Amino acid sequence: MQDDQAISHDGQDFVFLFEGETVPARRGQSVAAALIAAGTSALRIDEAGHFKGLLCGIGMCFECRCRINGVPDQRACMTEAEPGMRIERQQGLV
Amino acid sequence: MTRSIIIVGAGPAGMAAAIEGVAHGCAVTLIDEAPRPGGQIFRQPHPALRAPDVADPAEQRRKADLLARFNSIRQRIDYQAGASAYAMLDAGALHVAKGEATSIVKADAIVMATGVREVAYPFPGWTTPGVMYAGAAQSLLKAHGVLPGKRVVVAGAGPLPLVVAAQIIRAGGDVAALAPLHPPTAALRHLGALWQAQAIVREGMRYMATIHRAGVPRWPGFAPVHAIGQERLEAVVLARLDSNGAIPGSEREVACDALAMNFGFAANSELPAMAGATMRHEALTGGWLPVVDALGRTSVPGLFVAGDAAGLRGALVAEAEGRIVGAAAARDCAAIADLPASLAEPLAVRRKLLRFQDAVRAMLAPVAGLWKLADAKTTVCRCESVALDQLHFALAGGHRSLNEIKRATRIGMGWCGGRTCMPMVTALAASFTGTPPLRMMTPRPLARPVTLAALARQTAA
Repeated sequence: MQDDQAISHDGQDFVFLFEGETVPARRGQSVAAALIAAGTSALRIDEAGHFKGLLCGIGMCFECRCRINGVPDQRACMTEAEPGMRIERQQGLV
Repeated sequence: MTRSIIIVGAGPAGMAAAIEGVAHGCAVTLIDEAPRPGGQIFRQPHPALRAPDVADPAEQRRKADLLARFNSIRQRIDYQAGASAYAMLDAGALHVAKGEATSIVKADAIVMATGVREVAYPFPGWTTPGVMYAGAAQSLLKAHGVLPGKRVVVAGAGPLPLVVAAQIIRAGGDVAALAPLHPPTAALRHLGALWQAQAIVREGMRYMATIHRAGVPRWPGFAPVHAIGQERLEAVVLARLDSNGAIPGSEREVACDALAMNFGFAANSELPAMAGATMRHEALTGGWLPVVDALGRTSVPGLFVAGDAAGLRGALVAEAEGRIVGAAAARDCAAIADLPASLAEPLAVRRKLLRFQDAVRAMLAPVAGLWKLADAKTTVCRCESVALDQLHFALAGGHRSLNEIKRATRIGMGWCGGRTCMPMVTALAASFTGTPPLRMMTPRPLARPVTLAALARQTAA
């Protein structure tokens, strides 16, 4: 049972850019999920200088907000990844 | 004349209420924030994405059955995916945002099926990336086909951490440690209740067997007391707790890159409270809850609440209650003259499973020491970066209500609207002063952030 249910992070449908680096993603994944699969959990730097990441995963807590295609404060957990997206880590209150 | 019902939330309660409303000839509008129906428990991946379903086969069957019934009425309702109900100011009218526009939707009855969100407690390092709620880890598995980390520590109260640990294992992940706050045997004091819900208990035993077979180190009675790491989580310190906090000498450091934790739930009850519904507080079943009668009616005419948003009782009760409340809403707005005889079935299901919740609550019982783990500089309000010493300063200065604490400290003023911090602040204030705050924080009209442009662009519904 375990084998046919195993998750593989290999394989990609497209890439987007996070902090200028390419990140593989699969169609239908959220930005946060693709970044976590790629080993990036720090999605934001708060005004005290602390790294912040995904907390609730369902759009409630707003901890994962990023600048996506130039628009600040977009929730990475609620935003579906798209080819060629440019995503930046927000720093402080923007 | 056709009567109209608005339902908020497309989880088990909301889908069941929609099916029932359609069956009684009502015009149903279903508003939901997610792109696909299912809510949190029956969350569906994007159709193009292969995400293996790691839920127990019995849960998968319940999910497929309810989604099939919902899909059969989907074309007959106004189903608004990706829409947020952000205010309810008057009876019978709901403010809804979708994309960059807003509208005021009116109906003869409004059913809130908004569910619950997870809660935790603050401890040093808990804001480190990689520390997430157990449900967040589950949503990564279920909806995105992603493991929360390479080595995951799972911790918390109630059944959810056990379920998530087993699901991570089934997805091929590595659970470095499982720290259930109460051992599952805590539920055994309620054997009669467990007997009433044998099917659920069997699901739980299959999950436990998965954890056992994987040889996961188990630390019952332990809880995370420190998360170590800067840009990413490197380790979690687990310790046994007493009423003063961590018991010295009991600490165990476990290397990991993710911590999936759940220490209870808070009801998403801001909209009924904003509409003026009478509220009550019950910590173990979701904090501030709207007072409802057996048919889900609040103190506001035409406003109903169904499922976990009226008190945590799980997906099976939520679905049964969605049917009950959907029929009651249709009856109250005179779409039908009497409650249908078919309600006997969901009423019986709800009655039977309510006793099972006694066993669940035994696994959710709070431990006073959880609220002693934060140090002076531990973040309490994550949105506004407010630390525990600032909360204590406000409390020592005589601020007692959540509204006063908010004004004095900025706790609860940020992006999340207090949904993350206020359940914790309530418990931290009780721990510090000996008395819990008496009222919930006044819910303000934007229950979700809405841009000024969207507010200005208000369309007729």
